[in-house]
Amino acid sequence: MAAVAAHKAELDELGVEVLAISTNSHFIHKVWQENELSKMVEGGFPWPMVADTTGAIGRLYGVYDEQGGVDIRGRFIIDPDGVIQAMEVLTPTVGRNFRELIRQVQAYQHARATGEVMPAGWVPGKPTLKPGPDLVGKVWTVWKVENAGD
Amino acid sequence: MEVARAGGKAPLFEGNAYFNGGFTKVKLADYAGKWIMLCFYPGDFTFV
Repeated sequence: MAAVAAHKAELDELGVEVLAISTNSHFIHKVWQENELSKMVEGGFPWPMVADTTGAIGRLYGVYDEQGGVDIRGRFIIDPDGVIQAMEVLTPTVGRNFRELIRQVQAYQHARATGEVMPAGWVPGKPTLKPGPDLVGKVWTVWKVENAGD
Repeated sequence: MEVARAGGKAPLFEGNAYFNGGFTKVKLADYAGKWIMLCFYPGDFTFV
């Protein structure tokens, strides 16, 4: 969560509000913030940290581990209409890739603003596709496999 | 129970939260009209 907090400026620029959710109580969130997070990132975690003590929220999102009694690492991008545009769920041993998260937000925001679609490997500045009858069977003329690389 | 899926409506919830030095109630519905990122994580004081 410190890694997300460290990128607050970037998320603010994209207009993204963040909610962190775990099965710890809000009291424990306070202790973690004061004793560790605030020492990792100046100001600590800058968005609400939600207490999912019963696992009810995690169950709704399919990330609650009944045996472990915890919410595993799940990340959901929700658009202004309340629709989940992207979701990524990881088991506890591996952390998130922040750049990929930002890329997905940028891509969905671009799609929403323009109606264009983002082919594999798209990052801002790379070509987008404009779906329509003229593009059928012609993607090869405007998109190369090399574009899928970073 | 409707479970989250990509392309579906985000299930609404509310819960107690710690924010900005105090305790508050968070409702997902209050965030309508905004881009939101939900980050579930296995627990405070974990290592990754």
